[in-house]
Amino acid sequence: MRWITKRFKMSSNGSVTTLQLGLVAQADKPPVHLLPCEIEHDGPAEVSRYFTSAVKNQKHEMTVSFRGRGLKGQEVSCPHGYTGLVLKEDHKPTSDQEDRTVRVSSVFHRFTYWNLETPPTSDDGVVMGMAWPDLAEAIHGSVDD
Amino acid sequence: MASKKKRSLNAQNDRWVVIAADSVVDAAKSDGSDPVFVRLKNPATDVASLYLFGAGDADVYEVKAFDEDYRSWFIGQTVQRDGRLLYITPVDPLYLLLPYIIKAGKEQGKFQPVEQVLMDEDFPACRRLLRCARTRASLPQVAEEKEGNGQRFYKYSQEKTVEWLKKKVDRTVEALKKSNISVGGGVKSTTYIRTKQECNVQEEDYLRYAHGLISEYISEDLSKELQKILQLPEVSSPKDLEPPSKKRKVSDTPVEAGEDYTKFNGASFARKPPKKMSAAQKSLAKADKTGMKSMSAFFSPKAKTEKN
Amino acid sequence: MDLSDFEADNSVSCRLSSAIPDICRTTDCCLGIDEAGRGPVLGPMVYGICFCPIDRKEDLKALKVADSKTLTEVERENLFCKLDEAKSFVGWALQILSPNTISTSMLQRAKYNLNALSHDAAIGLVQYALDCGVQLKEVFVDTVGPAEKYQDKLSQRFPGVEVTVRPKADSLFPIVSAASICAKVARDHAVTSWGFVEDLGDVDTDYGSGYPNDPKTKSWLLKHLDPVFGYPQFVRFSWSTAKTILDDKAVPVHWDDDEEGGEKAAARMNCASMLSYFGKSRTSARETHRFFSERRLQSLDSL
Repeated sequence: MRWITKRFKMSSNGSVTTLQLGLVAQADKPPVHLLPCEIEHDGPAEVSRYFTSAVKNQKHEMTVSFRGRGLKGQEVSCPHGYTGLVLKEDHKPTSDQEDRTVRVSSVFHRFTYWNLETPPTSDDGVVMGMAWPDLAEAIHGSVDD
Repeated sequence: MASKKKRSLNAQNDRWVVIAADSVVDAAKSDGSDPVFVRLKNPATDVASLYLFGAGDADVYEVKAFDEDYRSWFIGQTVQRDGRLLYITPVDPLYLLLPYIIKAGKEQGKFQPVEQVLMDEDFPACRRLLRCARTRASLPQVAEEKEGNGQRFYKYSQEKTVEWLKKKVDRTVEALKKSNISVGGGVKSTTYIRTKQECNVQEEDYLRYAHGLISEYISEDLSKELQKILQLPEVSSPKDLEPPSKKRKVSDTPVEAGEDYTKFNGASFARKPPKKMSAAQKSLAKADKTGMKSMSAFFSPKAKTEKN
Repeated sequence: MDLSDFEADNSVSCRLSSAIPDICRTTDCCLGIDEAGRGPVLGPMVYGICFCPIDRKEDLKALKVADSKTLTEVERENLFCKLDEAKSFVGWALQILSPNTISTSMLQRAKYNLNALSHDAAIGLVQYALDCGVQLKEVFVDTVGPAEKYQDKLSQRFPGVEVTVRPKADSLFPIVSAASICAKVARDHAVTSWGFVEDLGDVDTDYGSGYPNDPKTKSWLLKHLDPVFGYPQFVRFSWSTAKTILDDKAVPVHWDDDEEGGEKAAARMNCASMLSYFGKSRTSARETHRFFSERRLQSLDSL
């Protein structure tokens, strides 16, 4: 019994997912927004008709509303030396032992994140998270003898 | 008035928003090979974690997700329900090799070629670590090295390892000082003037914080060993003495939030309006939480949270 | 009526006003307050004040202002022109509450209900008149809610002014009728010439009266529903009519302050909080360092 579980585990950990970079420089560069709500939907939406066109950008504060709720937002840039990628899997695997492939479907260098009603600050999780790559460099950079 | 709908399960995702080190993309451009995501043994937890090999396995990266509840993306003219943001950042392959070298050192206690050490039928992808550019060069930092018959042999050395980790901590302390990450129990503030004594406390705070970060990549034993060498006293605050079930409860606010008086001093004092307690939180607050700790035993380590 | 200040940004509230007649700064005045567009599910709600010297009440009556609801749109327009021509002794001011202001206020974390919103708009307008130096002695208000409480609130807020809150005040006091005409004209203009901030192209503007029971309004709401965004800001999302359609036909959206139904949600949270304490996919009880937990950063085991 134990042997079976082990074999199974091995094969699922043995599978790899290839990241097809393709021509990243030529990839689509759409506007990207991170919203303060969970939208139970994956797929097309009239973002520019209803949302982007209604965004107001005044005095360093961006405001808009979504479903009747007031949002306040801010644009953030990817950390230096980092690029935003949207990965897409065109064919879902039928089992977790199969090798998979994801491709870069679009690229972004900055995005706008939105808070529900509260003005964006440096204490927001998204902004704080941007400190990670720099710190990772310190933790993982090589140390010289 | 219509009632609010319950959140439904998020079906399998087919898109991911990531922020990746440029080297992932650039290296592939020069050598033409595509990076691959694999699962390797997490050196701190021993369970499977996701990593990425790039530049024909010359570089290795880890994948972390920024995962705040109630988030979704607009990407161009589409919605993506999964609001996570994945980070692909470089990892020192030595952290990933170390558990294997330590294990071999314990079991065999002799010099061995690294190819023999790095075998794991649970994580076959670990062999790729042998091809990492930094692996060969950095092995002598954690192991004794011998040469013979044109081959190199290694044997784990705790002294060397701890020395190496100490350098890692020092580097991390430097980076923390340059950043505006708040490492102390309190919070850094431009309006708050610290006394000299508090500056000394600060130094230890940096060291402790860096030690905590490095400990995310090493075993608990090694973390404790490192703590000794760094002469970091064990923390014995009342918080740590409390039983685990009381430690966090429902609240998941940052540790320092409760003691953050400095924020009120600044001119830019702008507090977020208090979040309303949801019905769920209310009933949870009312619920009897005794015995919660023992309930944890029912959750297997790999159980996923019902994030939906 | 020139609504260009409001039209420049119709997603926020806006105050419009006439010039203050000089005589109102030196003579005791009366002031009427009324609203337009409280009930509709779309468009702005407008609060209006109108004021004139107490001893000119008869002149106002001579303009034959009457309750705006008994008038046709054309009659109201004509009366507003007459009021405008009487600017030597009649002044007015309006507070236009955009539908977006109404939605976001009523749906905000700390709920701000329509009555509070209305009272604050009325109080703001009276204060505006006082700030402009109008010698206020009498205030007449039309109300939909309980008159007494509102009257107490206003009397306390404006000592030295005699406040009369009365249902149907717009048909009893010409100064309230005048305020009602100003408010209604502004609401009509705003609705008929609504400039959508959204990029909707040629949108069908045949939305009827905007009242939830108007079949035209109902079919417009059904026809113009977007599954993700719901409606343009022109619609009051906080109205149950809109909410019901969204709940039935649009994609569900969840916010962190949603009132989730009782036990099941509590169980979910309980489970989530316990798992996060024990660190997802961790064998030992080693806690994730706070750098990561504070930033909601965690390792993944698969894509």
